[in-house]
Amino acid sequence: MHRRDAPGRQAEDNACKLLRGLGYAIVARNWSSRGGELDIVARDGDILVFVEVKARSGSGFGGPEAAVSRAKQRRIAVAAKAFMARTDADLPARFDVIALEGDDVRIHRAAFSLDDVWPTD
Amino acid sequence: MFGRLTSGAILGVEAQRIDIECDVSGGLPCFQIVGLPDKEVSESRERIRSALRNAGYSFPAGRITANLAPADVRKHGVGFDLPIALAILIASGQIPAPKDLLLVVGELALDGAVRPVAGVLPLTLQAVAEGMAGAVVPIDNLAEAALVPNAAVFPVASLADAAALFRGERSMSPAPPPPRWGPTSVPPARDLSEVRGQCTAKRALEIAAAGGHNLLMVGPPGAGKTLLARCLPGLLPPLSFDEALEVTKIYSVAGLLARGESLVEHRPFRAPHHTISYAGMVGGGHGTPGPGEITLAHRGVLFLDEVSEFDRRVLETLRQPLEDRSILIARAEVSIRYPAAFTLVAAMNPCPCGHLGDELQPCTCTLHDIRRYRQHLSGPLLDRVDLFVEVPRLAVGELLDTAFAEPSAAARARVGRARQTQWATRPGILSNADLEGASLREHCRLDPEATQLLRRAIARFALSGRGHARVLRVARTIADLAGDESIRAAHVAEALQYRAAGRVREE
Repeated sequence: MHRRDAPGRQAEDNACKLLRGLGYAIVARNWSSRGGELDIVARDGDILVFVEVKARSGSGFGGPEAAVSRAKQRRIAVAAKAFMARTDADLPARFDVIALEGDDVRIHRAAFSLDDVWPTD
Repeated sequence: MFGRLTSGAILGVEAQRIDIECDVSGGLPCFQIVGLPDKEVSESRERIRSALRNAGYSFPAGRITANLAPADVRKHGVGFDLPIALAILIASGQIPAPKDLLLVVGELALDGAVRPVAGVLPLTLQAVAEGMAGAVVPIDNLAEAALVPNAAVFPVASLADAAALFRGERSMSPAPPPPRWGPTSVPPARDLSEVRGQCTAKRALEIAAAGGHNLLMVGPPGAGKTLLARCLPGLLPPLSFDEALEVTKIYSVAGLLARGESLVEHRPFRAPHHTISYAGMVGGGHGTPGPGEITLAHRGVLFLDEVSEFDRRVLETLRQPLEDRSILIARAEVSIRYPAAFTLVAAMNPCPCGHLGDELQPCTCTLHDIRRYRQHLSGPLLDRVDLFVEVPRLAVGELLDTAFAEPSAAARARVGRARQTQWATRPGILSNADLEGASLREHCRLDPEATQLLRRAIARFALSGRGHARVLRVARTIADLAGDESIRAAHVAEALQYRAAGRVREE
């Protein structure tokens, strides 16, 4: 179990390093609730950032971003809701995705929002 | 954090003020537009998100709610993109709130450019009526917005442009002066000198143009009915400034103004095909009903060629607007009144084969065919026609005649003078076709001889009350064309002649 997660763990460590370098403060890692899991929770100034880290060793399958499907976004949103409720935070929040593909790193700020995940119309 | 701006919605040809409130608060990211938005307004979220980022602003994190008030008016169109985007920037503290009340309207492209929208003229008029400090409009709509007297207009080409205006980085350099009004060109039309013969029809056309009277031309195929009608735009009197503003408002709302076009210069001439639908003719369509052909022909001419081919139901809908000069389109959610003061010009054959009454070619229709053909135009509709005129087949001599025929310009000058007389002597009346009730009695005084003649005609032709009023109006226009102040027997006689043709045909 632990071994299978090792590459993902490595990627999340790299992502944390990257975020600290950008001046973010790491609030939590691998925070999980019943509905889903949050890879990294960070603070970007006054903004709470929920970061999903996706890594791919080789190309193909449309890059790591493609793995953050609508269903995955929904699980992240559910977990984020639980986190906000638990920690009593009333900060503006954002969902970021960090994609690691070989040496290539891409940060997608505000990659999605609740109205994408649960369209009202 | 809260931002507020003002915009407007179009209802019919009038604008209504819409207040846009935007709240940016903590919580998971979510962008919502509430206040009865239509599909295209909801979709503006994606345009706004992209436009903000691509214009170099940050799309705020957290929960964003934009409210369009009043909440009971259905919001449609794309003009709310720009004001919502600016309200978000104000709410998130990226730009300051404007000191004065401004009306803001514009569609956003994904790169942050501002695209033109429909209805800027009525929106700007509304801004002035509400005493706002000015209107921020897409640069491509500047020409129509600048028409509004006393309006401060701020044209913007992009979101960044508008933001700079709010930050005070751009001087509030508003309002190029309204363009000087005056007919600058003659409308494109065929010329009367191209039409051989048909003196009676030409005269009827001139009367119709001078007084705004409804005209029905009947004749065999190829006699020149369509050509005559195509000459009409060249005869119509120029629009007054107020009329031009009315027409421009309609075309602005319908999105039919050419880019950069300010005022509609010429009277509309609409010639819909006979396959036109009910909604196409009187207005309608899904969602908020749009204007139909009768509204697009406001202050101009609606030409129905081959009128007997039109759907009977579509023709009958014309009855009420022909009297009321407007149409009320009522739907469950909204009812909208559109102006529809048009002159009806119609053309048809005398029978299905087209040769009834032709001396050279025998008619092949049965009596039954002819009756059915005629029944297409109901009595009440025919009763609203002021001028019936026959357009007969040309005799060989006329066809080959190369003699000088009067050009449109001469008739146009006479028509213009007659219309000037109407405006000058009959306040509140735009053409003799508008005379009714008290104004009809006041301005259509007959001399004793004319009174006698009309009395006899009423008995002889069994004129209805409406028919009588129509004879009076036409006689008034004939007198105006002749430059006479009072209506004389000759004028009444000529007016009656155009009705008599109709009576004979009906029997």
